[in-house]
Amino acid sequence: MKQGLWLVLSLIALTSLCDTVNQLYLKSAIDSLNFTPTFNIIKIFKFIFKLIGMPRLWLGFSFSLISLCIWLIVLSKADLNFAFSADSMHYIFIALASRFVLKEKMSTRRWLGTGLIMVGIVFVSLS
Amino acid sequence: MFKKKVTLKILLLLIACDILETAIHFLFKKSALAQSSVVVVDIATGVEFFKGILVSPFLWAGLFTVVAIFTIWSMVLTKIDLSVAVPIASFSYILVPLVSIIFLHEQITVLRWVGVFFVLIGVILVSLSSKERLEQSK
Repeated sequence: MKQGLWLVLSLIALTSLCDTVNQLYLKSAIDSLNFTPTFNIIKIFKFIFKLIGMPRLWLGFSFSLISLCIWLIVLSKADLNFAFSADSMHYIFIALASRFVLKEKMSTRRWLGTGLIMVGIVFVSLS
Repeated sequence: MFKKKVTLKILLLLIACDILETAIHFLFKKSALAQSSVVVVDIATGVEFFKGILVSPFLWAGLFTVVAIFTIWSMVLTKIDLSVAVPIASFSYILVPLVSIIFLHEQITVLRWVGVFFVLIGVILVSLSSKERLEQSK
């Protein structure tokens, strides 16, 4: 049982990691296009088409697909509410990756907020 | 660098993402349920299952929603940091219990309220942290 728990937890960590990698690729692709937000529909469509033409984005999508497959395996082994609360570790990965890969400035306040969201999600999922 | 403050507009876009994401689960579930008469035991029934799903309007509505979310999410990411956008997108943990109370008249336990409260405070802190950075860079 204990071994099964560790297996499920590492699988959940793996899906979270794959999701994080997907978001990193998406964010870096968007940043590289240097698009100024607008409400001009044609400009938005042009931007989206340019975006889906980037190989980096499809690399990200393939990670997202892997993540989905692992998630389905997790759901076949664990309760949904346990899986959801454990999946909140996703926020830590995003925070760390943003800090160290994208070099975003993480203030104490942002870390605190991210931590509180994680605690909150565990409570919501377990209740 | 353009401004990276979380504005009401961005918050609304993120909430739209959350709502659409819930809609996706609902639409995909609907399209699969419409095929519940087909029991998948071998390749032939599997093909029949997917044929049925492919003509289901729910599936196409779902796929359209996926594209819509991708567009909105990309627009949001052009404006703010990833470490701000992802935590704020956890707003659904607040929305879903509220919707369950108002529309489905469900009972919410105290522990869940505590959780919702934590998420709310967290989202506020993260949103403020992006404003803080803007002020520092001035």
